Amino acid sequence: MKKLLARFRLADRLFLAVVVLPTILAVLYYGLLSSDVYVSESRFIVRSPEKPQMSGVGLLLKGAGFSNAGDEIFAAQSYVNSRDALKVLDTGGVYRKAYTLPSISIFDRYNSFGLSGSFEELYAYYQGKVHTEHDTTSSITTLSVKAYTPEDAQRFNRQLLAMSEALVNRLNDRARSDLIQTSRAEVDAAKVRSEKASLALSRFRNREGVIDPEKQATIQFQMISKLQDEMIATRAQLAQLRSVAPRNPQIIVLEAQARSLKGDIDEELRKVAGGSASLSSVAAEYQRLQLENQFADRQLASAMASLQDAENEARRKQAYVERIAQPSLPDFAIEPRRMRGIISTLLFALIAWGVLSMMLAGVREHQQ
Amino acid sequence: MASGNDLAVGLMVQRRVVSALLLREIITRYGRHNIGFLWLFVEPMLFTLAVTLLWVGLKLNHVSTLPITAFAVTGYSSILLWRNMPGRLIGSVGPNLALMYHRQVKIIDIFISRLLLEFMGATISFIALTVVFTTFGWMTWPEDLLKVTLGWLMLTWFGCGLAILLGALAEEHEIIEKLWHPFAYIIMPLSGAGFIVDSLPKVGQEWILYLPMINAVEYLREGYFGSAMVAHYDMGYMAVANLALTALGLAKTRVVSQKVVPE
Repeated sequence: MKKLLARFRLADRLFLAVVVLPTILAVLYYGLLSSDVYVSESRFIVRSPEKPQMSGVGLLLKGAGFSNAGDEIFAAQSYVNSRDALKVLDTGGVYRKAYTLPSISIFDRYNSFGLSGSFEELYAYYQGKVHTEHDTTSSITTLSVKAYTPEDAQRFNRQLLAMSEALVNRLNDRARSDLIQTSRAEVDAAKVRSEKASLALSRFRNREGVIDPEKQATIQFQMISKLQDEMIATRAQLAQLRSVAPRNPQIIVLEAQARSLKGDIDEELRKVAGGSASLSSVAAEYQRLQLENQFADRQLASAMASLQDAENEARRKQAYVERIAQPSLPDFAIEPRRMRGIISTLLFALIAWGVLSMMLAGVREHQQ
Repeated sequence: MASGNDLAVGLMVQRRVVSALLLREIITRYGRHNIGFLWLFVEPMLFTLAVTLLWVGLKLNHVSTLPITAFAVTGYSSILLWRNMPGRLIGSVGPNLALMYHRQVKIIDIFISRLLLEFMGATISFIALTVVFTTFGWMTWPEDLLKVTLGWLMLTWFGCGLAILLGALAEEHEIIEKLWHPFAYIIMPLSGAGFIVDSLPKVGQEWILYLPMINAVEYLREGYFGSAMVAHYDMGYMAVANLALTALGLAKTRVVSQKVVPE
């Protein structure tokens, strides 16, 4: 009987330690000590108007989690959870002050005992208060901030949202200017090259006194052929006269004319080919310059076209943050869930007690 | 204090019973010939080795960006740890029924000795493989040994809880024995050995984490690979699940041990 009593007492002690004590602590904490937590929530979506069309396989892969849905959204998310964001929030110690209010219970306050106020600890604390969640199917991101007054929660949420917006814009601008800048540089280079080429061509024209050797040569050939026609006519007349009236005084005149025509023809031929100043000797260099000029022009045209494309592309690719729900101003503290906390502590303690007492009973059986 | 004494005596007796059962188990299972009790960890090691070599040979690097050898070793060792325990406890009372003739031998002692053996085998094999592969330069040391250990212990707890529950249930319902094998095969690919939770879509992640063991595997892998992976786990949930399994298992064991009749 005594043994039984003593055993009960041990069992009772176990029950006290494992069930009653934790439950009392939970009731104390949730009932009296913990402070009301207000949660401000906002929802946003990072939009990029140009979405690649999803094929069947694409959808499948997206379902399997392989899509790279908007880098900007992840950038924004990771920025919100970063030390940089906290640093901005805490300019002038605003953040610290909001979470060390004397009205907050000592268990929930940041740095409650004033032991250390390092930034790293603040960051660890901050991570417990800010939560982002990205839903891949709807691609909506929910940003929630916990604070001990509704106004603080809303203010920090609003700030964080504005900061993520600024970040997305900054990323955008950077990507855009990168895209356009390279195209623009290309256009500039092409412009310089084209100018140089046309300048070289005009300088050549001035120096050689030639506009276009090919065309000029054609004119020259026409002239030569005309002269040759005349030459043939003169010669024919000359031959006629010699045979019909060899003493005709006109023969001398015609001979002189034929001589001068021949001289003219030789002169013109020399201008076209042969000799240092002839058209054929300049034609080679002219062609080179001409080709260069044409090539530079074409390059400039294509560079300008790609700049236009880049500008269009940049305009199309622009991502922006679209707010779906503005940061809310909570009028009720939804956390901590007091009853839930107490009940779950009780249940957990009961199960733990059950396990422990069964184990102890199992051990004790061996002694019988 | 009589009751405290009670407990101390009981504990001492139980410790002796369990260690005797442990030795008996080793000898009956592995015998004295061949490499004897070394099979204890050579067997799981061979399993893990085969699977690891298969994975490495197939170059299943697309599973994740993590080093494949370490991925396979952590994954398959974890599976062996929690999967073999129930397998060993189901139907474990029958062969030991003769021992029940002794008053001090209880069902729970048989369970404990077998669980200890499984735990030792899986753990030694895990450590040995890690050491060997690291020496050959196929793996690197874990980044956070404490996390790996904690994850491993949580997984052990889960295995023990599940094993005790199923072992006790199997004494009453034969169907458990038949159902366990298909069930183990279904649950195996879902247990996080062959993938990391982060590679699943969000909805899948939420659901898969209801399986307790995957939480511990993720935790263990986070300890092993550190910053190289994003782990998803809820150790609090796992602890509750483990506790519930243990409670149910112990309760069922007590019920069963009342009914068992020694031969």
